[in-house]
Amino acid sequence: MIERFHELEPYSLEKSEKDKLLVSELLELTDFHYNNCEFYKNIVNGFGYSEQNIKTVEDFPFLPVRLFKELDLKSIPDDEVFKIMTSSGTTGQAVSKIYVDKDTAILQQKVMIRILSDYIGKNRVPILVIDSPSTVKNRVMFSARGAAIIGLNIVAKKMVFALNDDMTINWEVVNEFFENYGKEKFLIFGFTFIVWQHLYQELVRQNKKFDLPEAFLMTGGGWKKLISEQISRDEFKKRINDVLGIKHFLDHYGMVEQTGCIYAECECGHLHASIYSDVIPRRFNDFSPCEIGEEGILQTISVLPHSYPGHSLLTEDMGRVLGVDDCPCGRKGKYIEISGRIKQAEIRGCSDTYASKF
Amino acid sequence: MLQNSNKIKFLVGSLDTLNNMPNVKVLPIFSDLIMQFLAELSTKLLTKVKTREFMDVISYAFWIRKGHTEKHKGFYKTDERMGRGIALHFAPSNVPVNFAVSFTSALLAGNPCIVRVSNKEFEQVNIICSTINEIIETSLPEMKNYINIIRYEHDDEITAQLSEMCDIRIIWGGDRTIKEIRKAPIPPRAIEMTFADRYSLVIINSDEYLKQDPKQIAKDFYTDTYYTDQNACSSPRLVVWTGNNIEKAKENFWKELEILINNDFELQPIKTVDKLDSFCRLSAVKTDLKLIKNNNSLYRVEVGSLTSDLLTYKDNSGYFFEYSTNKLEDIAPILTKPCQTISYLGIEPQEIRQIVEKFGPRGVDRIVPIGQTMELAFIWDGYNMIEAMSRIIYVR
Repeated sequence: MIERFHELEPYSLEKSEKDKLLVSELLELTDFHYNNCEFYKNIVNGFGYSEQNIKTVEDFPFLPVRLFKELDLKSIPDDEVFKIMTSSGTTGQAVSKIYVDKDTAILQQKVMIRILSDYIGKNRVPILVIDSPSTVKNRVMFSARGAAIIGLNIVAKKMVFALNDDMTINWEVVNEFFENYGKEKFLIFGFTFIVWQHLYQELVRQNKKFDLPEAFLMTGGGWKKLISEQISRDEFKKRINDVLGIKHFLDHYGMVEQTGCIYAECECGHLHASIYSDVIPRRFNDFSPCEIGEEGILQTISVLPHSYPGHSLLTEDMGRVLGVDDCPCGRKGKYIEISGRIKQAEIRGCSDTYASKF
Repeated sequence: MLQNSNKIKFLVGSLDTLNNMPNVKVLPIFSDLIMQFLAELSTKLLTKVKTREFMDVISYAFWIRKGHTEKHKGFYKTDERMGRGIALHFAPSNVPVNFAVSFTSALLAGNPCIVRVSNKEFEQVNIICSTINEIIETSLPEMKNYINIIRYEHDDEITAQLSEMCDIRIIWGGDRTIKEIRKAPIPPRAIEMTFADRYSLVIINSDEYLKQDPKQIAKDFYTDTYYTDQNACSSPRLVVWTGNNIEKAKENFWKELEILINNDFELQPIKTVDKLDSFCRLSAVKTDLKLIKNNNSLYRVEVGSLTSDLLTYKDNSGYFFEYSTNKLEDIAPILTKPCQTISYLGIEPQEIRQIVEKFGPRGVDRIVPIGQTMELAFIWDGYNMIEAMSRIIYVR
């Protein structure tokens, strides 16, 4: 039962205790989805799944994240669908469809709050979102960006959108926000590249500077675009500090398929798995689990998905576990580093690549 | 007339030679000029040190050697047939030497050629093109009228201009590529040959298998599949077992293959996800199947029945469906339009041919022994290439 988790602090369990708790919860979840999602049942049968073979967290079957783009995977009747979350695919690409019922939605928000409060404190804070209000307007079909913002809304004392719909800075709103909250603890949230392009570069262009020593800058969405512009994480932090005076940085890793279970960055720059989730880098050769420090393809586990079988997924991201239970920040559990996406295939089938060029 | 020369890179030829092509004489099939050209290309390729790194270039060079083309010349009435005109080729990006196989048939059929090669850079393409240039510059300058090899980024206008000039258009590619290129009209008398995405299978008689050298068969099958990352249309995606010793044969067959895979095959990381995903998509909707795998380089999906949609779930880089039966006719449902090659071991090819005749499916163009699926040939996808690309001059 998920309630057991809520009684614990999100980073309080050592490996052996956490594994025990996760295994029993994951057995329940796997059984539930097996009995309520026909596709899931057929797939794990195809893997030859049997409860008897489960000894550790590493033994559970995992679905490729991509499958949510190709199949409608849900474990609830249609009339219990509260919202459908979608991933932000580029135009023309298929998007993930995640079916969420009310219970799972509440659970996602609750866990998000619990994780975040471990970093920024229990009090609700004002949030300045570096995005446009239209990103969250369509309540039926959320994008990943929209979902992340909505998820944060519940921890917000007040939420304000810093950008206009054309992604220019809405100065009226921003100035007012800084006047009202600039001296206290607050959160600035945005996807890394949007913060860089639509906030930082705009400030530089307009030659504006602020001093916000109490602010937390929470980022997400990966570093790929910045790295392709030769901007490292440290460089990003340094430059943001130059123009905004920000000292606290809170990057995170997460995906729409496991909303709520974010991996947030501690003061040491490490991304932490909470008690609600786990991450297992696996070897390409045979999907066996990697040693600590060894890079692999990431399997992510979350105990939150109760309306769709997304509790154990194989991502297309690479990364490694840096350590377990021993981060200097004091948080227990695994702490990880994400190194990016797997390189796409060079040749695919008789037709595909050629077709994409023609 | 072709205009946008700055967008086009000429690997062989120039804008002048290309625009002059409508004035070039077509040749009889297996003409002396082309036979001599191919013989020189063969010799020159085989003497180059660089060629030795590429098995496919060596195979091509052997295929066009003088003895081989002379032998094939004997199969045709050379005084009856001539070329049709300009042959415009759109080569695929998955098999590097395919562009050469395509123009070789067209040249032997008597046609001047324009070949658009893939934007993907292959060393094999560079080796063959630079050797052709050497021949044009030294011994056979008249060949410059007969071959242009070009590369350009996707461009509807260039494709349209080239298509207006051609008498035969040859498109290698998937359905989308063919659809895109077909938006450009060809002249009223021009013909078109398309080589779309296909799939293939192998049938093995277990009793016969157990009588043969397992190492050699593993090597043959590896050549048919893993050597091209199972990317070629002729690579088997399905293994059908017959006979009385299926279990034993299967065990030996895959064990021997895995030795080769573990030594020689390098799996692309993204393929590990692709293959898992392909299996999930299939197993979500089909229940009579079982996955067998020791590692990610070999997926064996045992299926309890063969249905017409099975091969739409195909994948490559070592991803096989497997089916056991004592009734060969079970394969009938999968002999659909995209089905190309059936390779065999220990089975009379005529027996397979009879099944095709009995059921009259739209698919199956080749029935060849195991290990020979990649063999270069003048018969491909149901076409006799030389005949399809030439015309008969009827005289009485």
